[in-house]
Amino acid sequence: MTIELAGASIEQIAASQAGLAAIGAGLAVGLAGIGSGIAEKDIGAAAVGAFTEKEELFGKGLIMTVIPETIVIFGFVIAIMLLM
Amino acid sequence: MLKPKRMSRVLFVGHKNVLEPTIDVLHDLHVVHIEEYTKEEYFSIGKPLAGVDQDSKRLLKLRSIANFLGIKKPYIKPTSAEKTSSELEERLEELESAVSEKLRKKSEIEAEIKETETNIHEIRTFSGIPVNFDLCSGYETLRVFAGTIKKGAEIEAGLSRITTDYQLYVGATGTVLLFVPAKDADLVAELLNGALFNEVKIPAMSGAPDELLSELGTRRETLSKDLESLSYEIDSVKALYEGFILASEELLSIETQKKEAPLFFATSEHVFAIDGWVPDDEFEKLKSRVGEATDNRVYVTRSGGETAGTDEGGKAEDANVPVEYDNPKVVKPMEAVMNLYARPKYYEIDPTTFVFIAFPLFYGMILGDIGYALILLAISLYGRSKLHGEGWNSLFTVLIYCNIATLFFGILYGEFLGFPLAGTHGHPGLIPGWHTIELIQGIGGETITYPVHRTHIVTTLLVLTLIVGVIHINIGLITGFQNVLKKHGMRAAILDKIAWMVLQLGVFLLLFGMMEVIPSMLPGAVVFALAVIMLIAGEGAVAVIELPSIMTNILSYSRLLAVGLSSIGIATAVNTMSGMAWSGGGIYIVLASIIFILGHALNTALSIIAPGLHALRLQYVEFFTKFYEGGGRIYDPFGYKRIYTEE
Repeated sequence: MTIELAGASIEQIAASQAGLAAIGAGLAVGLAGIGSGIAEKDIGAAAVGAFTEKEELFGKGLIMTVIPETIVIFGFVIAIMLLM
Repeated sequence: MLKPKRMSRVLFVGHKNVLEPTIDVLHDLHVVHIEEYTKEEYFSIGKPLAGVDQDSKRLLKLRSIANFLGIKKPYIKPTSAEKTSSELEERLEELESAVSEKLRKKSEIEAEIKETETNIHEIRTFSGIPVNFDLCSGYETLRVFAGTIKKGAEIEAGLSRITTDYQLYVGATGTVLLFVPAKDADLVAELLNGALFNEVKIPAMSGAPDELLSELGTRRETLSKDLESLSYEIDSVKALYEGFILASEELLSIETQKKEAPLFFATSEHVFAIDGWVPDDEFEKLKSRVGEATDNRVYVTRSGGETAGTDEGGKAEDANVPVEYDNPKVVKPMEAVMNLYARPKYYEIDPTTFVFIAFPLFYGMILGDIGYALILLAISLYGRSKLHGEGWNSLFTVLIYCNIATLFFGILYGEFLGFPLAGTHGHPGLIPGWHTIELIQGIGGETITYPVHRTHIVTTLLVLTLIVGVIHINIGLITGFQNVLKKHGMRAAILDKIAWMVLQLGVFLLLFGMMEVIPSMLPGAVVFALAVIMLIAGEGAVAVIELPSIMTNILSYSRLLAVGLSSIGIATAVNTMSGMAWSGGGIYIVLASIIFILGHALNTALSIIAPGLHALRLQYVEFFTKFYEGGGRIYDPFGYKRIYTEE
């Protein structure tokens, strides 16, 4: 490590740290988004099925479908904390 | 405003002589929600009034004609009910005779076209064979083979080996028609089978295939022309009678509805009884109108009144009281948003007014862009003037409310189609000379400015959105406290709702302790533990699983910022791309305009969906779960909303 450190200036180290934080933020939002998507796809399919049978279920179906959306919001909060 | 309309249970009892005027009055007033009578010992279910059969038949006829003519319900000027009623019979007959003839003709022509097409299809197989179909059957010493054989199969050589007395025709489509002496038929059949012979039925017509084809072709053309002129005639009938059909359909629907009404009533030999619900403020009017129409020969009484279905009126009835919103006119369109979820129960607080404030507010906070607000305002104002009907009207009105809020926040944020209006940090804004003013210190070294640049003060705004969440959720909990208090009493209300507020307090005290705003974490821990005990006492051990939900609910409000940032992101990307193309000059300016217009059109569409859904979700999931039950019975008064006729 010391050898590598010697080759890099302080600015370079700081820049790569900022870069890693940005990658981390991206991963947080992206992976959380995928998680939300996986969760929502099944619920959404079931909800659409339910409300084609009974239209009054639209509101409830919508709510059930968007519940996992909170996952990606957590990702977003983490991303902001990483970039702060 | 915060309660559904107060209802009274109302009972009408009278002699059957005055049944008809009573029904007329009830129908006209359109305020009584009739409870269907189910047969019990003494009373039986009423019989429909005289004439209902005839009316139903007419209605059926009219509807089938309307269906045949393809009448959709347009918005037209209503006609006089009396006039329609007086000429109904005559005009209906007139219409029927005009239509039934055409209907018959139409189906005839359609059948004929179909038949012609089948024939053409059959004959086409034989096209190119110059033999009259008459000559293909009826022989004693000849055998006729007609059919297809394998492509490229050579049968003539084989044939000539069997017999020299044959006649072979090959059609344009490869169909063969072969005449051979009957005695050689078996051998020929064997030969043909070797060539994968597939028999085709010879059409039972006279004439050569090609002649027949051209004949049938012309016939088909004439027929389709006939059909065309017939549909033109049908259209003219439609244009002539459209108003009449719609008006008389409505009239007959009303008539049958009135005449079938006794099916819901309890009757004995001489007496009828009607049981139903009426809004309190309509009762006196209803009573006097029924009295007027029947010389006070109907006994009208109400039970409950102010107390129906509430505390003193007995809670068992709650589920049965039909629910009608009682909101001022401005708030009314929001009822559509409520109905999407569920109508409130009778004893519940009706949260339409809360939604009326919070939904546009959240929508505006998320979108907050002057450009999009103006575009969407224009669209919704135009849509509201063009599309009629209650659903459209509410939808566009809600959109208008939302975009007024968006305009307000747009001015606060200083954004126009993703461009900042005021300059900041050396970047010029869209309005030259307008610079951002620094106001106060925010959180995390950020400075709150006017206009608020959302992308620059993310941390501060994140905390602000969470505060909005805490306020919104606690309004929900207080409302829930009211509901539970009314239904289950103080103990349940405190354990069910106040406990969650105490829990929040505990969490915040713990947080302050961690951040060393207060010296110790002990008070936080104590309050937190108290809340947990209250919750377990209220809901049992399951409550422990639900503990984190309050945090996820509050964090969920950070979408007020997140979705807005993504909208800015898209707008900025569009602006940057078109800006890059613009600087290319020449033909690139056209490209830049296309990118700009298409990109912002896309983002405008997203600006309805994304902020709309997220603002809605915050109402439904985070807010309603704190207090709202829903599922009330829909108030559906006896009567009819006239569209095409007027009295």
